[in-house]
Amino acid sequence: MYKKKIVPGVVKTVLGAILMGVSWLVAAVLVPKIKKSILTPYTYGEEGFWIWAIITAIIVIGAIVLLYIGIREMVSTAQYNKKVVQSGSYVKAKERSSVAIALSNAGKGIAKFFVGIGKGIADLVTTFIHGDWKTKISYFVMGFGNITRGQVLRGLLFLLLEIVFIVYMVIPRGGGYWLSMLPSLGKVAPNPHGAYNEVLDQWVATPGDQSFRILLYGVLTIFFIIAVVYTWYVNIKQNKIAESIIRSGKKLKSGKDDLRSLVDDQFYKTLLALPTVGILLFTVMPIIFMILVAFTNYSSINDGINNGLFHWVGFENFKTMFSWDVGGVNYSATFGEILLWTLIWAVFATFTNYFLGILVAMMINKKGIHLKKVWRTILIMTIAIPQFISLLYISKMFSLNGLVNGFLIDLGIIQPADAINFLGGNNPVLARVMVILINIWIGIPYLMLIATGILMNIPADLYESAKIDGASGWKQFSKITLPYMLFITGPYLLTSFTGNMNNFNVIYLLTGGGPTNPAASGAAGNVGYTDLLITWLFKITQTGTAQDGSQYYLASVIGILVFIVVGVISLVVYSVLPSVKNEEDFQ
Amino acid sequence: MASVKLTNVKKIYDNNVVAVHDFNLDIKDKEFVVFVGPSGCGKSTTLRMVAGLEEISDGTVEIDGEVVNDLQPKDRNIAMVFQNYALYPHMTVYDNIAFSLRLKKMPEDVIYSRVTNAAEILGITQYLMRKPRALSGGQRQRVAIGRAMVRDSKVFLMDEPLSNLDAKLRNQMRAEIILLRQKLDTTFIYVTHDQTEAMTLGDRIVIMKDGYIMQVGTPTEVFEMPHNLFVAEFIGAPKMNILKTNLVKEGGKYFVTPCGAKIEVTGEKNNLLAQKGVESGEIVLGVRPEHIVLANENDPGAIACTLEVNEMMGSELHLHVFSEDGTRWIVRVPTIDLTPEQREGLVNGAKLFITFEGKVMHFFDPETEKNLIYGE
Amino acid sequence: MNTNETTASMKRHMGMKAASRISNTIIHIILVLISIVWLIPFICIVIQSFRVEPTSMSRYLLNHPSIQFNWGFDNYVNLWKSDFPRWYLNTFIIAIVVAVVQTIIVLCMSYTLSRFRFKMRKPMMQFMLILGMFPGMLAMIILYQVLKDIGLAGTNAIPGLILVYCASSGMGYYVSKGFFDTIPKSLDEAARVDGATRAQVLFKIILPLAKPIVIYTVLTAFMGPWGDFVFAKYVSGVTPSAYNVAVGLQSWLATDTMTNNYYTMFCAGGVVVAIPVVILFMCLQRYYVEGVTGGAVKG
Repeated sequence: MYKKKIVPGVVKTVLGAILMGVSWLVAAVLVPKIKKSILTPYTYGEEGFWIWAIITAIIVIGAIVLLYIGIREMVSTAQYNKKVVQSGSYVKAKERSSVAIALSNAGKGIAKFFVGIGKGIADLVTTFIHGDWKTKISYFVMGFGNITRGQVLRGLLFLLLEIVFIVYMVIPRGGGYWLSMLPSLGKVAPNPHGAYNEVLDQWVATPGDQSFRILLYGVLTIFFIIAVVYTWYVNIKQNKIAESIIRSGKKLKSGKDDLRSLVDDQFYKTLLALPTVGILLFTVMPIIFMILVAFTNYSSINDGINNGLFHWVGFENFKTMFSWDVGGVNYSATFGEILLWTLIWAVFATFTNYFLGILVAMMINKKGIHLKKVWRTILIMTIAIPQFISLLYISKMFSLNGLVNGFLIDLGIIQPADAINFLGGNNPVLARVMVILINIWIGIPYLMLIATGILMNIPADLYESAKIDGASGWKQFSKITLPYMLFITGPYLLTSFTGNMNNFNVIYLLTGGGPTNPAASGAAGNVGYTDLLITWLFKITQTGTAQDGSQYYLASVIGILVFIVVGVISLVVYSVLPSVKNEEDFQ
Repeated sequence: MASVKLTNVKKIYDNNVVAVHDFNLDIKDKEFVVFVGPSGCGKSTTLRMVAGLEEISDGTVEIDGEVVNDLQPKDRNIAMVFQNYALYPHMTVYDNIAFSLRLKKMPEDVIYSRVTNAAEILGITQYLMRKPRALSGGQRQRVAIGRAMVRDSKVFLMDEPLSNLDAKLRNQMRAEIILLRQKLDTTFIYVTHDQTEAMTLGDRIVIMKDGYIMQVGTPTEVFEMPHNLFVAEFIGAPKMNILKTNLVKEGGKYFVTPCGAKIEVTGEKNNLLAQKGVESGEIVLGVRPEHIVLANENDPGAIACTLEVNEMMGSELHLHVFSEDGTRWIVRVPTIDLTPEQREGLVNGAKLFITFEGKVMHFFDPETEKNLIYGE
Repeated sequence: MNTNETTASMKRHMGMKAASRISNTIIHIILVLISIVWLIPFICIVIQSFRVEPTSMSRYLLNHPSIQFNWGFDNYVNLWKSDFPRWYLNTFIIAIVVAVVQTIIVLCMSYTLSRFRFKMRKPMMQFMLILGMFPGMLAMIILYQVLKDIGLAGTNAIPGLILVYCASSGMGYYVSKGFFDTIPKSLDEAARVDGATRAQVLFKIILPLAKPIVIYTVLTAFMGPWGDFVFAKYVSGVTPSAYNVAVGLQSWLATDTMTNNYYTMFCAGGVVVAIPVVILFMCLQRYYVEGVTGGAVKG
């Protein structure tokens, strides 16, 4: 079922080398800061320095480990391959994790892509030279060949697309307009009081260029153009195929055949059409747009619809995020601290739930425990109740005026005046511990479910043979149960880790990110001690500074950085994981 | 009822692994052809290409003279029985068998008569209203066959249909398939890794290895005239004894010298060797266990051996022996040929002598592994 | 047999039994404690929802020497008079539509990726994996602006929300693909040989066998909108009539003054929201468990 993985040593080595480079860069930035922080009295930057120093240390250690493992594996893989070649046996394609494959294939993929384009162009030229007149006309009138050869349905669809495309590109405010505006993102700003209307006797708004729409429709137009070019290529390809079929004296597929194949051998196209369009428009497009936004100064003041233009600023926003001092705000330190807490939170949130969940599942499943169903049902019920209700209610339970304080006061443990503000007080550590504890409450039922499923799947003979060998209960757990769990849930652990890094609901509904972090005052988004990168991102889009409104561009930068962090972690973990599933093995 | 013709058929997977190389075969109408070979030899892949479940990378497959490469399985008019039966778990046995007929929109009364008819032939009438999970392995197999039977398909494909059954049931089902074949009277392609099934069922056997056809022939042909060492070893149980030895040509007569003995090649084989112009030299000699006999010390060509294992099979004994130079032999001795005293003497470590006749030998080239007489 | 030996082994045996009895007792106690901890918030929320005073006094659960509460159904009656029914209806509409559409899309996607082998399959799955690493929050900003631009934000937030929930649901194919992968492929093949088109294979063979995962998908798709808070808040903006229950109820606790006035009503609202979802969930629990465990083990 699970295969031992042959890890892509190359990927690890390269990654290690890159990380090493990154750590040198960070260190190079740090050295002047060290001098500065020693010379000046206590500043926030000093704290930031230590955070960066820790991060650098982690990166360096990670890089060394990766380099070591990577090189060792490359050597052993080479030896293995040599042996295989010598023995002349058949080497099965290497099993690798999808992320590792994605990245290690990226280079190959890009090369292939360009070779493919080159071949495609060569193909286009030769087809044009050797094709008959119907094919030649099809270069200009899409679908012409199809129509004249009897495939009317296909031909008309091609033709329709071409007409739509041309019309869209030439109409005013059509594709051509958006594309031409894309480099500047608009020249004339809309003005709410731009012109004087004598009839109304007041200043009225004058329309201008709308940067937001230019960027949005510009991106969409580029999507569209790529799609049309590809369709054009397919159209020519089909002419070529049709010619060769006719030459060999066979019949072409009719429109009816086409429709029929859409519920049969091409059924996947029918099934995927809707989901793919949805994902392209509502997931891919926004992500591309927001990546682009990171290179503009798009904010709620320059929203590019009613209130002025935004424009390209290059890497300016990234510089802001990494600089020590922008108008008195240390974004670098703020980001560092939030990142650190995000990682700490993700580690605790993932592993406390994981191990406690297994523990609870094992307790419930133990022989001789009564009312198994009752315990399980009680825990499962908490999954059913919408999270926002339980989270909001619990946050109120732990508030200054909450039930917990009431209870403590009644018991005489604290005085009414000393009520503890568990989640929002001046005590960052308490707030952080509380969110982790409450998250355990949220997460254990899920883990209990998953662990129960897996525990039941562990072959009983493993335990029986362990018992015969005289293994104690703890030995059985540590030598059988835990390795088996880790082996199977490895990928799940990773997704739950990255999920926790982006666990918006728990943090936002419990603490709203608070208590406020005075050190980060001035940074956009009213940063608090329990803020994760994702809640910070959200808060930036919600709260604005006076002169700039909500700084969407900063949110975008954070989003991209989150992506990089999550991507790197996934890649590293995936390539270190002992097991990676081979999907075909299940079938 | 149709012929099937495979011309230069190839299967290359996405990772450039070639599963089938250049497969050529002409299957006549109503013929029963068995593809046999070790796992991974491409036999199932070939069958699945005929069925349309696997894309054909190169070459053509014709059914009844029509090229079917681009046809979907449903349009090829074939019936297939799968190794794991592939019964639809959510349907009753009746619905399982009727499924294909319903897809063809046949009237219910025709479906009824066909299904009950098939069920009667297979003896599963009383299970028609059950779900597959309530059936035993043998019963499921019958349902799977019934499902394939009710359609008047041109070709009947079977992919290791018996390998999930226990040994006893397998023998029984094998016999039933022979009967079924007589009733259906259509073209069969049958895939198996079991040479016994291949020998007993097939009109012709296609023996495959690593994607190549090693030999095509009737059971008699592949047994008596193996084209190469692989076929010789694969067909027949226990497998053929193989040893390196020398072929000596002396005055128009051929001799082999296994383990110091000198045995003359007699009968037709001698003539055939002479016809092929085979000269003296090192060869691989093959002798089937049933062709080896126990001998006396002074018999010509006797080889001295020590008995290692004696397997009592009932009607015969399988003697595992080794000769002085360390060569291992398996000898099949019919129990009835031995006196009780002789049988008692066959204990581990016993010394005995074996020999074989000159006409039963097979000769292979040590380099190419081809049969020196029949190899192509 | 030697009597001494027998008694010794009996003793050892009894010792083991006693040890396991003690450990079982401890575990039972722990389980009771766990159950209490996990149930307390729900018990409290139900109790507080029956308290008449709109004022908070959230420190106290039951009557107390310093304070006597009045008990009754007032909060539930007031809920009915407030915007709450509107929010409830909004959420219900969203949940129903999303449950249907999302299930269809997810099933299309996962069936295809499980059963068809086409050139773009692997790249597509890898691409979606990478897409999933982008924080979804990022897309919200732009989606909100776009919805606003085409008039589907604010008062028209409901169709806007439905559109966005449904459109990106293809990304959630993972669990059900894992399930489809466990249905033997030879069933598809047998059906295709029997004369079924791919579409007939899906409808006649696979879907009837995939009942658990269909129910799981419907259930999660239905439950999702009840808990979605961020995006709903974003899109509905300041239009209370377009809130869903999560945004609406949160608005009752958003500030301290709100909390003081609406705290017990929030509790009642929470109970009303939770009841149908919990009932549905409990009925279909079996399928949910199957989906979750299957998704983690096989996914």
